[in-house]
Amino acid sequence: MTSSTIITNNSHARIVEFVSTLFAQHLAYTGMASRVEILNEGGFRSDGRRQFELRSINIDLSQQGHADGSASISHGLTHVLVSVFGPREAKNRSQTIHDRANLNVELSIAAFSTGDRRKRSRGDKRVMEVAGAIKSTFEPVIQTSLYPRSQIDIFVQVIQQDGGVLQACINATTLALISAGIPMVDFVCAISGGVHSTNPFLDLTLIEESDVPNLTIAVMPKTQKVSLVTMETRLHVDRYEEIFRLAIDAGLIIHEEMKAAVLARSKTLMTCIDLGTHGGEEME
Amino acid sequence: MSTTLLSKAEKSFIQAGLLSNPPSRADGRSLHDFRTISLETSVAPLANGSARLSIGRNPYDGSGGTEVLAAAKLEVETIQHGSGGVEGGKIACSVTCSPAAYPHLSSAALEDLQYDMTTILQDTLTHPSLHPKNLGILSGKKSWLLNLDLVVLVDSGNVYDAIFMAARAALWDTKVPRTRSVEYKAKKSGTSGIVGGGGKAGDSGGDMDVDEEVVSGFDTRQIQKATDFELPDYWDEGEVLDGRQNWPICVTLNIVSPVHFLDATSQEEAATPLRVLLMISFDSSQSANIQGMRTLGNGELTVSQLTGLLKDGEKYAREIWQSLNTKLKEDNIGLIKEKNKF
Repeated sequence: MTSSTIITNNSHARIVEFVSTLFAQHLAYTGMASRVEILNEGGFRSDGRRQFELRSINIDLSQQGHADGSASISHGLTHVLVSVFGPREAKNRSQTIHDRANLNVELSIAAFSTGDRRKRSRGDKRVMEVAGAIKSTFEPVIQTSLYPRSQIDIFVQVIQQDGGVLQACINATTLALISAGIPMVDFVCAISGGVHSTNPFLDLTLIEESDVPNLTIAVMPKTQKVSLVTMETRLHVDRYEEIFRLAIDAGLIIHEEMKAAVLARSKTLMTCIDLGTHGGEEME
Repeated sequence: MSTTLLSKAEKSFIQAGLLSNPPSRADGRSLHDFRTISLETSVAPLANGSARLSIGRNPYDGSGGTEVLAAAKLEVETIQHGSGGVEGGKIACSVTCSPAAYPHLSSAALEDLQYDMTTILQDTLTHPSLHPKNLGILSGKKSWLLNLDLVVLVDSGNVYDAIFMAARAALWDTKVPRTRSVEYKAKKSGTSGIVGGGGKAGDSGGDMDVDEEVVSGFDTRQIQKATDFELPDYWDEGEVLDGRQNWPICVTLNIVSPVHFLDATSQEEAATPLRVLLMISFDSSQSANIQGMRTLGNGELTVSQLTGLLKDGEKYAREIWQSLNTKLKEDNIGLIKEKNKF
């Protein structure tokens, strides 16, 4: 499995999204999933992607409100917004740790983000679980020991979900932390993968996620270390390694996208700084 | 409730600016100027209607400004004792504030704030005079529940105006799916009289009738025979909410006696002792109705002052109303064009 087989697709993404929107609407009204072919004979998935094709990724690093760093990312129809505050003094003194910064992750999911409306409160089990996963993923990556007795707040807002919520949350958090200038060891790039009979595939939509065994992993591209693996379904041991390796490759591809976005953002900022310091004289 | 912390000196500086002649504000606006408002409808593909609204967002890099996301979602409810459904359908509003919008509030304080906003929106929008007529499905059996959910992503002041404008835009954008009532009847020849069995419909084609009045020899009561409904055309989005012109908007008048100003930033809000929220709607004859009113803060207000404010408020509301309507109509045309591409 070479990474060149994994492609991010932006060309017919519009059509793909249109089709899956209609489909999700259909599910919401009828309340039942008609049998969907996960992978048809031509090797296409329910939204027209190939096995190793990722959904289109959109990254926006512009500043949101008063946040020190913020990022919004969309993987296809899944859309997540993250704001990072800090390192700053903790609101609650008891939460401070004497030798490193404390990470505070709060997740909220918009009620209209799914097919069936569901309002999840702050104490919801699912919400706590995802927030916990994000926290434990980033704890070893952020250089927390540089900021003793302080707190870094990570506020995650899920605006739309169509599978791969955790992966989107982690990717957006990485970008928001970077744009807040918080020192980290490496990027963290997350991706989900699944297996349909013997065929592995990547970046699952909601329909696929509910139908096939799947896992989400987060990779640190430089060292190729894995900082998170979660799986809530059963998967055959023989299939596990294949999908795991494939997901790591895909994580590296996502890293490229994220790096490009960060560089583009830094470039605009640098241009602005240049304009400010030289009064625009050296502009070509 | 003040959501920004400001020192006494800062407060008095802002107040002095507002009271000076000519008045001066930090961003150079005059007292009754709004920041730029940008609005986008149909942003949430899974909702029946949605809008994203921002006040004072930087158009070049998309930073700053108050930002609100609103989405309306329809749900079918059964009208039955104890199941919550109401004849003619109902509307339920909720406002959620992202903790990122109020970074220095504790989660309990945030909950309180959310609750305040939800109450104001719910009280105003669920008034019987505004209730849309097409939220019923089957009289006495099924109706639509319209869930209007708002998320405040960023608060840089004037959040109530933003909430009401976003709510109005989302409701304007809402499409109610067309429904057709379905009725089951026993075969003429049969004496068993099977009613309601949806699974039986497949047995023979004549089992299920649609929209047809059947007069039974036994039954002389006037009851609705339709037992269920179906969506005749799935791909069609449906019709717009009835009376969508009438949804109110909110104008916040920030009062630093004797002057008042509009569209306060969060700093200005913190320096304002009294704010008056006016929820105003205009009917077809362009006459204004006050749908709600609220004062926030600990300042004082005399009755004569209030009459003047009402008059001014109506004027501002009319301007906002007209420009919002123009924008929503434009959006509508844009969407239709977009659809015809496919």
